[in-house]
Amino acid sequence: NSPAPLPERAIYGFALFLGSWFCFMLYLIWAYIPETWLFSLGLTYWPQKYWAVALPVYLLVAIGIGYILLFGINMMSTAPLNSIHTITDNYAKKQQPKKFQEEAIPALRDVPISEVNRMFFLPEK
Amino acid sequence: EERQYRSASGEAIALRRRQHSASCRELAVRCPRLQLRSLSAVTSAVWLAAYGLFALSENSMVLSAAIFITLIGLIIYLHFVKVDQESLLVIGSLGIQVTSSYASGKESTTFIEMGQVKDVVINEAIHMQKVIYYLCILLQDPGDPQGISEVVPLFQSSKPRLDCLIEVYKSCQEILEQRRTAPQ
Repeated sequence: NSPAPLPERAIYGFALFLGSWFCFMLYLIWAYIPETWLFSLGLTYWPQKYWAVALPVYLLVAIGIGYILLFGINMMSTAPLNSIHTITDNYAKKQQPKKFQEEAIPALRDVPISEVNRMFFLPEK
Repeated sequence: EERQYRSASGEAIALRRRQHSASCRELAVRCPRLQLRSLSAVTSAVWLAAYGLFALSENSMVLSAAIFITLIGLIIYLHFVKVDQESLLVIGSLGIQVTSSYASGKESTTFIEMGQVKDVVINEAIHMQKVIYYLCILLQDPGDPQGISEVVPLFQSSKPRLDCLIEVYKSCQEILEQRRTAPQ
C-alpha cells in the first residue's frame, strides 16, 4: 500500500483529469449558452438554468454550516461531569493484573483514580 | 477558619472549614454575591431594547412588558440559578450531606449514606472548552466491590480551583481513612 507512482495510477489520474475537465466545460456550456441556441442544436432536455447558480450556493452554505455543526457535535459528545466515562471504561474494568517481574518495566495498566489522587494530593510521610 | 481562593472563572470565593468533632467536618464554599454593576447593566440593556422596540412599534405595552420581564427574571434568577453557598458536611460513620443555598434563601440538600460512598476524589474533565478539576463522590456499585456505580460532582456553581480542592480533599480523606482503619 505504498504511495509510490505506478503505471495504473498514472492512467487513473489522467482519466480523472480528462473527466473533470469535460464535466467543467459541460457545466460552463450549460450555464452560459442561451437556451434558444441549445434548442436549435436539438439539445432540449436540460435541467433549468436556475440550478447552475443554486447548486454552488447550496454547496458553499453547506460547508459553512458544516463548521458550526462539527463544533456542536463535538460539544454534545463530550461526557458530562457526572458521567462514569470520565473515570473508567470497559477496557479498564476488564483488565487482568500482570505478575510483577524483577528488573523489568512494569506492565501498562489503568491505575484507579483513588490511588492516583492519594499519590498526587496526600503528602507522603 | 476562612480562606480566600479563586474559582475556575477567576471570581473570588471563600472556603470555611469547621471541625465539629473528631469524625465530623463541615466545608463551605461561599460564592461572590450578585454585583450591582452587572445587575444594572442587564437591566439597562433590556430597557434600552424595549425602548427601541417602543420607538419602532409605538405600542406602550412593550415598556410595561419589559419592566415585568425584568422583575420576574430577577426573581427566577435569584431563586433557581444564583448559588450563594455550597457546603459539604462529612460525618464519619453516618454519611455525607451536600447543601446548596441560593440567593433567595432556598436550600437544597442531598444526603449520601456512608455505605454507598466509595471515595471522594478530584477528577479532571472537559467542560465548555476548558479542562477543569472538580471534586466528586464515587458511589459504590452494590454488585461489584471494585466498581463504581455513579459519580456525584460537588461544588458545581462555585467551581473552585485546584488549591482549594486539595484542602477539601485532604479534610475529607482524613475522615474517610478512619472508616478504613476501624471498620465496625
